[in-house]
Amino acid sequence: MVEDNMQKVINLASEIFNEEVKAWKEAGGRVIGYSCVMTPPELIQAAGFLPYRIRALGNVKTEKADSYLSRFNCSFCRSCLELGLDGTYDFLDGLVETNGCDHLRGMFENWQYAKKTEYFHYLKVPHVINENSLDYFEEEIRLFKESLEAYSGKKVDAESLARAAGEQEAVRERVRKIYSLRERELPAFSGFEATALVLVSSAISPQRFLELADQIITEREGGKIAYRGTRLMLCGAATDELELVKAIESLDGVIVTDSLCYGTRAYARIIDPQAMLSKPERTLAEAYLLDLLCPRMYEDYARRRDYVLKAVERSNVDGVIVMHNKFCDVHGVDNVQLRMDLERRGIPVLQLEKEYGSIADVGRIKTRVQAFLERIGVIESGGRL
Amino acid sequence: MGKVMLYGGIDIGSLTAQAVLIDGKRQFSSVHNSSLFLAKSIPVKPNPVDSAKAVMEEIFRENGLEWKDLNYCISTGYGREKIVEEGMANENVSEISCHATGAFSLDPDVRTVIDIGGQDAKVIRIDESGNLVNFVMNDKCAAGTGRFLEVMSRTLGVSLEDLGGVALKARGRVDLSARCSIFAETEVLHFLQRGIDVGSLAAGICRSMAERVMALVRRVGVEKEVMMTGGVAKNVAVKRELERMIGTRMVDSKIDSQLVGAYGAAVLAMKSGRSV
Amino acid sequence: MVNLAQRTLNRGLFERVFSLMELVERIPDDLSDEEVEGITALLPTDVAQTVTAFLEPRVRRAGIFFLKMIARWMREAVEAKSSGKKVIFVPFNFVPELIHAFKSAVPLTSEVLSSLGAAAVKGKGHVYWDFAMGLGIPDHLCSSSTIELGSMLSGTDMTADAIISSAAGACDANAKIHEFAANYLGIPQFVLEKPVDDTSKGIEQYEKNFLRLTESLERFTGEALSEEGLQEVASNINRASEIYYEIWEMKKLVPCPVPNLFSFFMYGCRFTMWGRKESVDFFELMAKEVKEGIAKGKFKQIPEKVRCGWLYTGYYIDYAGLFSWMQDKGYSYLWDILDLFFPEPISIESRESILSGICESSRRFPMTRQMGAESMSAAWLEDAAHIARELSADCAIFCGHHACKQTWSVISMVSRELQRISGIPTLNLQGDAWLSRVTPISVIQSEIDSFVRNVIRNKGERRKIRRRKGWRTTQYPTLATGLEDERE
Repeated sequence: MVEDNMQKVINLASEIFNEEVKAWKEAGGRVIGYSCVMTPPELIQAAGFLPYRIRALGNVKTEKADSYLSRFNCSFCRSCLELGLDGTYDFLDGLVETNGCDHLRGMFENWQYAKKTEYFHYLKVPHVINENSLDYFEEEIRLFKESLEAYSGKKVDAESLARAAGEQEAVRERVRKIYSLRERELPAFSGFEATALVLVSSAISPQRFLELADQIITEREGGKIAYRGTRLMLCGAATDELELVKAIESLDGVIVTDSLCYGTRAYARIIDPQAMLSKPERTLAEAYLLDLLCPRMYEDYARRRDYVLKAVERSNVDGVIVMHNKFCDVHGVDNVQLRMDLERRGIPVLQLEKEYGSIADVGRIKTRVQAFLERIGVIESGGRL
Repeated sequence: MGKVMLYGGIDIGSLTAQAVLIDGKRQFSSVHNSSLFLAKSIPVKPNPVDSAKAVMEEIFRENGLEWKDLNYCISTGYGREKIVEEGMANENVSEISCHATGAFSLDPDVRTVIDIGGQDAKVIRIDESGNLVNFVMNDKCAAGTGRFLEVMSRTLGVSLEDLGGVALKARGRVDLSARCSIFAETEVLHFLQRGIDVGSLAAGICRSMAERVMALVRRVGVEKEVMMTGGVAKNVAVKRELERMIGTRMVDSKIDSQLVGAYGAAVLAMKSGRSV
Repeated sequence: MVNLAQRTLNRGLFERVFSLMELVERIPDDLSDEEVEGITALLPTDVAQTVTAFLEPRVRRAGIFFLKMIARWMREAVEAKSSGKKVIFVPFNFVPELIHAFKSAVPLTSEVLSSLGAAAVKGKGHVYWDFAMGLGIPDHLCSSSTIELGSMLSGTDMTADAIISSAAGACDANAKIHEFAANYLGIPQFVLEKPVDDTSKGIEQYEKNFLRLTESLERFTGEALSEEGLQEVASNINRASEIYYEIWEMKKLVPCPVPNLFSFFMYGCRFTMWGRKESVDFFELMAKEVKEGIAKGKFKQIPEKVRCGWLYTGYYIDYAGLFSWMQDKGYSYLWDILDLFFPEPISIESRESILSGICESSRRFPMTRQMGAESMSAAWLEDAAHIARELSADCAIFCGHHACKQTWSVISMVSRELQRISGIPTLNLQGDAWLSRVTPISVIQSEIDSFVRNVIRNKGERRKIRRRKGWRTTQYPTLATGLEDERE
């Protein structure tokens, strides 16, 4: 029955209104959507709602969204907005905005302008880390909690918050485990499978995810995937494009690790659930702000670079693909710095600018990745083409 | 011709499909203009596999050869994987590596290749052993590709082949925005309505095209010698503009610039085939 | 390896602009038409065009003053370098007066230098943009900061000792390229974050951020800001602010007696010499020139056909010619977003009160106040609708600068609502405000022309609505600043 669980995950990952969410709604549950990795799902869960991370799954239609956002806005945000406007996301009872980046801010403003959700909250996240900004963010977490309480009509008590934090920590722990199995010399997961698992981890209830993940980990731990060729790391913009990962891996390469927003970056933080009993807001503020490895943060590039360098070493990566969606300034610029710093250390890098989810573009992306793999092949074979 | 040791390269572009055959024993010099290979180019068919089949069968028929004479074959360009799956090639290699190898084999002094095809533009850097060092390829936009020239020449009512010549002969040049081929078309129409002459517009178009390509060139840098490959290399005005912007004359590919990718694939096939 | 693609770069933007400014420093404060002709004949074509726009009779005295003021601003940076003072690069949305209050540091504004490059240097600064692209910087970054920073990155130009970034929170493109430049050059970057929060909590947070930055600057320069230094700056600001509003009042008049280019001059001064005596003198001169124009009826020589408000920036790609072109056509350029810095009086009681006043100006800076707001569309619309009403605008124009992802993300809402609230239509242009090769000025002009023709056709209708709603109350001042009813 090995592939049944994995196939179930892939199916869940391939649908926005997946069957788990449908069941939750049918049982009378409410769902709150968020987009940014800075939103603590523990709070949403403790308030009695299902936290759901907004995704576009490679959707390229943006006709409705384009009468609000422009073609100079990131196509990922345009795709998400489209799904908000065309009814795909009608199952969301509420939305949580963050100031993740300029495109995201615009996306949420338009979403609210065109189509109001029952619940809406704007969680404001600082761009620098210091005592002041931590205090500020702690207050923001408090306000977020209060607004959730107002919407649910009941207080979030310490015990339910500790329980939710415990489950969310368990989710992150499983994802970290999956990554460690993926990063090892004989990977137990392909990049495609790991991405599907990550996507599902924020689209169904934690309890269900833990059941599935535990079974899959047990099934896979002792084995290895059929893999040949080059070990790659994927860095850059928000991507939930399973098809893109699949396309890259259809060549002679496997993505063994990443530094993606819909990837490791969302699962690095460790939160002690017990802390929820004494100072929950401070604990969450520290965990979320201090562990944010996002190019939207300033005075913090060195840490992002070191995170990538460590992953390259740990996972024995042969080459790094840094990509960004066209018009994404934060990743677009960070990727240049990253490319320079990696190349300076002799690590081959492919800098890729792309449109989100464009199937028409996949062939061209594959050409570039294939040439990159050929280039790495040359380096590894000692210079013979 | 005695028994041949054939190595093949198939390159499917957006407009034309090319096949090149090299004889491992080098017996072709007598039959193909003193070149050491056979070549064929045809307009593409809707499906890359059909294009590959057609171009290979034609080259075989014209030269009295057969599929079984083929020792090893490499496919590149559109549908290169499918061509392998269909059994017409042994492996596929990206067109970036093929152009690098092709250009280097034609002239070992080449360190930079500028390849502009119908849909793609690439700048490729190679080292003194012919290895791929770095490359950059245009994003989805068509403004720096052959497609741009095609659209523009249609707007101007000049044939694609004549565009470069018309541009070179022009007395003036109109500055066009370099961003997008759709806007550029509107802009060109706007100038035509205002009575601007076709030559100045052709010159502006070629300059705009070269500027787009230069944006890529700057990304990977240029080292001498520089060779231009692909269909757009035939446009003298674009080539001249690029030479002016880079500040050096380019070396001649000696063969039809559109064949360089297929030629590179055949050279790689010979290397792979011999080591098999 | 010789990288042939970069071979054309051998002089930096700052240096090239400065060598022009050295010429400007030598010209007299007023010139006859013949003298202007003589000067422009000596200059290279590109430069001559800009100088011509600045030296047109209707703006000449202010134009010469402006150029000389900029020359002085640049000279101070040059001299700072040789005397061991710190040259601090700031973005346009940072208060240069804070740096002017230091004895040991001078501010240089990257966007102003990019604009001068686009306006006054042969090739319009494109080579520096190209250099940055060569490093792999994406082409959707903002040319206004990337042109000048590209010049600095190329190693051919004056290098700043530190970079201040005050766009974090309001503009990713701006803050990221500053971060890149600081890392690439190995110089410190000081970040002033604008929380997207307009509640008292957000304002308080901004104040903390501002004070933190001030302390960092004091540590960096090794100089504690003195109360006297701050007082001098604040007094100058208070005086210049009064005149700013005086000019603003005159802009309300129909037809508008304030020349189009004054809009550019106002913020050009705000971004460079605000807080200095020169800014007071310059604003006084502009006010005087407008009043003189009114007294002599000069501004009526070309009948005003339409009153345009630029919702965002203008275009700086044609040697400042767009302002004059519009003026010649009778299209008033009433404001663009950069004019909206609405200074408030600063209490000069104490060091704290002055810093708090400067901090407040910084928080309310153009673009920061709109794009760094909790709701970009609401803040932007509120300003646009208010100003459109105050200045009796007939239409709005959005320049559509490609790099501005935030404005592009909400312009559709803003223009829809502006039409609904103020009844004025918006033209959405698409062109880079600093790179002429994206959309040539001729295309922009023809789009403005056809839009404006439509607006004029529908103007009568809007006038009726306005009269009903009681728009426009200001009267023309006399030279002695008294009021005189000169309304049609």
